[in-house]
Amino acid sequence: MTRTVPFRRRSLIRTAAGLAAAATLGAPAVLRAQTRTLRITTWGGKWGEMMKGQVLPAFEKEFKCTVQADQAFPFLPKLQASPKGDPIYDVLHTNSNEQWKAVDEGLVMAKITAREVPNIADIYPYAISDKIVGVSIFTSAIGLGFRTDKGLAKPTSWKALADSKLAGQRGGYIIPVNSLGQAHLMMLGKVYGKGLNDLDAAFKAMAELKPIKLVDFTGQMEKMLLAGEVSMGVIHDSGIYRYDGQNQPVDFAIPSEGVLALEQVLNVTPGSKVRDLAFAYIDYMLRPDVQKLLAEGVWYSPSNRKVKLDPKFDAKLFNTEAKVAQLIQPDWKWYNARKDDIDARVTRILRD
Amino acid sequence: MSAARNRTPFDAGRAVYLAVNALLVAFLLAPIAVILVFALNPTPYISFPPVGVTWRWFDKFFSGADFMNALWLSLWIAACVLVLSILIGGASALALARGNLPGRAWLTAFFMSPLMLPAILTGLALFQSYLLAGLGRPVWGLIIGHTLVAVPYVIRTTLAVLHNFDRRIEEAAAVLGAGPIRVFFEVTLPLIRPGVFAGGVFAFIVSFDQFPVSLFLVQPNGETLPVVLFNYMKFDLDGAIAAASTVSILMALSVVLILEKLIGLKAYVKL
Amino acid sequence: MSSAAIRLERVSKRFDGRVVAVDDVSLEIAAGEFFALLGPSGCGKTTTLRMIAGFERPDSGRIHVGGADITDVAVHRRDMGMVFQSYALFPHRTVTENVAFGLRMRELPKPEIARRVEAALAQVALTGLEARRPAQLSGGQQQRVALARALVIEPRVLLCDEPLGALDRKLRQQMQFELKELQRRLGVTLVFVTHDQEEALAMSDRIAVMDRGRIEQVGTPAEIYGRPRTRFVADFIGEINFLESEPGAAPRALRPERVRLAPPGEGRVAGAIETANFLGGSTLYRVRGDDGRLLLARETHAGDRAPRDPGQRVGLVWSDEDAVTLER
Repeated sequence: MTRTVPFRRRSLIRTAAGLAAAATLGAPAVLRAQTRTLRITTWGGKWGEMMKGQVLPAFEKEFKCTVQADQAFPFLPKLQASPKGDPIYDVLHTNSNEQWKAVDEGLVMAKITAREVPNIADIYPYAISDKIVGVSIFTSAIGLGFRTDKGLAKPTSWKALADSKLAGQRGGYIIPVNSLGQAHLMMLGKVYGKGLNDLDAAFKAMAELKPIKLVDFTGQMEKMLLAGEVSMGVIHDSGIYRYDGQNQPVDFAIPSEGVLALEQVLNVTPGSKVRDLAFAYIDYMLRPDVQKLLAEGVWYSPSNRKVKLDPKFDAKLFNTEAKVAQLIQPDWKWYNARKDDIDARVTRILRD
Repeated sequence: MSAARNRTPFDAGRAVYLAVNALLVAFLLAPIAVILVFALNPTPYISFPPVGVTWRWFDKFFSGADFMNALWLSLWIAACVLVLSILIGGASALALARGNLPGRAWLTAFFMSPLMLPAILTGLALFQSYLLAGLGRPVWGLIIGHTLVAVPYVIRTTLAVLHNFDRRIEEAAAVLGAGPIRVFFEVTLPLIRPGVFAGGVFAFIVSFDQFPVSLFLVQPNGETLPVVLFNYMKFDLDGAIAAASTVSILMALSVVLILEKLIGLKAYVKL
Repeated sequence: MSSAAIRLERVSKRFDGRVVAVDDVSLEIAAGEFFALLGPSGCGKTTTLRMIAGFERPDSGRIHVGGADITDVAVHRRDMGMVFQSYALFPHRTVTENVAFGLRMRELPKPEIARRVEAALAQVALTGLEARRPAQLSGGQQQRVALARALVIEPRVLLCDEPLGALDRKLRQQMQFELKELQRRLGVTLVFVTHDQEEALAMSDRIAVMDRGRIEQVGTPAEIYGRPRTRFVADFIGEINFLESEPGAAPRALRPERVRLAPPGEGRVAGAIETANFLGGSTLYRVRGDDGRLLLARETHAGDRAPRDPGQRVGLVWSDEDAVTLER
């Protein structure tokens, strides 16, 4: 769910789009039905089941509308390819870094405030900080997942992953396509160098992690940990906690240097014809009862301060000022601007 | 003398030949075997050796409404694509081979071009066209997309048959009293049918397995099986994927076998 | 079976951008005649046949069959039978279905079709092979199916394009007899195209020899062989000696069997045998005259005369009336 969409040949896409556009310019706009339709993107899996089963039907009933939820990736290229004046989505749900790409192209709004979405008044500052485009409704924490049956001490630092005992037993991501990998790279800059933006230190530390098993999305990392193919790997807390109660010998550790925030961000497209409904949807998703339901369903930390979680979740999720202080938010605008160079270097480092 | 003749000497050439063949078969079947092991293994990840046998992933697949809807949609679309590709591809091939069209080589290249173009671009271009035309993402739009990439297969296989077609056979029918339309239905069509249907089988499989074109064109709650599997994999990478793959393989295989039984893909003309 | 006369009236055909395939051809073929179009490949014989069948339309000229102008009649309305060199059987149909095809197109009642197919197959000795497909038949059997398929519709005209060309020599000879016999029995007008002069001579009532789109000569086999009108015909049919003649005078030619081998000193030419081609019933000698020219002589092996050896000196004897005067 955190994989960066593999399209960055936008010029090519635009050319194709231009050709198609030339043929159909001036086509009539769709006539809107009586009931308004809100078009959103949303995740699949357990989250998707809960959305489709409970959250969205309740929203539709309350706001007398129809919600069309697209669960099929890739969201951003589809939005890019659709007309700006009549975008294919009203609300875009992605991880944080994709929102940064979207705002660069004018595909989503730059800022959302409590004026449009009243519940923003109740959320933690990180969820609406300058590192976020739109509103973060939930976050996961990227830390270290590890096997509890391999005689490993619970890691307390990101440096634990570099332990020589873990050679070939540690797991990371194919950085160009995975934002957890990208966040981890920045974290290496902070842990081994001068800060999140210290790429030289990060590359050096990355080279030290070899041999390392690389995957392209988090589901694979979960399975590698469960299967014992890696003993420790970079992963988000919800990817480990979701196996809670299944007797799996895996656990999640919060390194002392902090965890990286993996935010679930909602934003509205400027061309949306149902903008009020779009804001209402974001507001709805920030309601304490909705937040509690989803947070406990998929182990996401809720953004709303007023959510009271059951003890099991309360113990682990980031839902107090003190715990939220451990979240580090990467500067995706900075990262995306350098992505091509970083991809090239990191590919070279990890290849041989 | 005869005893010596009966003793088969060790034939190194034949042994190597058999070994290479066995390796090739293993190479081709290994992925299917891995999928099957994964599908029947109780753990939610691939583990070897398997720790047991379970039907729970198949159960999960067959009881999942999303999976089932997607499976039927994919089959339905593939069936439409099969019919459309046969009609369009067969007619195009006939026109290309027989039509005395100017610039025939160019036209052939043009009709084959969806094969050269990355399918993802075909999907994207159609997606944009539909949106700009205000059509949204209708199912028939997806069928058109699949048909676009499937038609060249039918054209290719039909052209191959037409290329070796002895036109004297049609002349023989004409001289025996068959008008042009009867010649077509009595002789031409039956003779090119194996080529057309061989292409049709490709078209079916191309559509049933189609991912890149579908990626953009599926509508919310109307995703085809490959798209559903792709998205499912990102959240729940478990044996249900393998079970779905197994079912897909069996589906595609049985469609091919049924078509083979019904139509007889084994050509009675030289292809 | 009825038969019809065919008349070609100044028929020409040119294929786009290429030379004239058929150039101003006029022909009269009598009803019930066995008529051969003979010539080397590219001479226009097949195009002529295909125009009679209706596969090609003449650029100019008219074609009449049975007194009616059929130039503009479509192929499938011409009521002709045709046998192709490749047989062109329907590979997806059985022998019976192949033979029944023309009758089915004529929408005859089923029992009649069955009866006529059975008779046609019996006629070409194919009874028992009804259910086979063409691929399961030998070349000769396929040939017979093609023949039965063409004849079962009782055509007024049967057109054959090198019908025996794909058969081996022995079978071909047998089929020559059979085809000839069948044609005589049915009385159908038969036009067949061949490049094999022996075949044409053996089977035809009359032959038209064609070259470069034009008809060189029409006549009975004996006329064509014995009195070739042109150098081309003389050369194309059998072996021949071209004799020297006065400048400006018509060329003269002499068949080898008209040349007698005599002891040295006799005859018009003295020379030595260069090669001897033993042909079974006769031997064809190539004799190099002392003046340098080459002459062919054929000698039959009547009695127990043995072939002569190369190198033997001979005299060559012929009389003037054995030589033919050619038009050009």
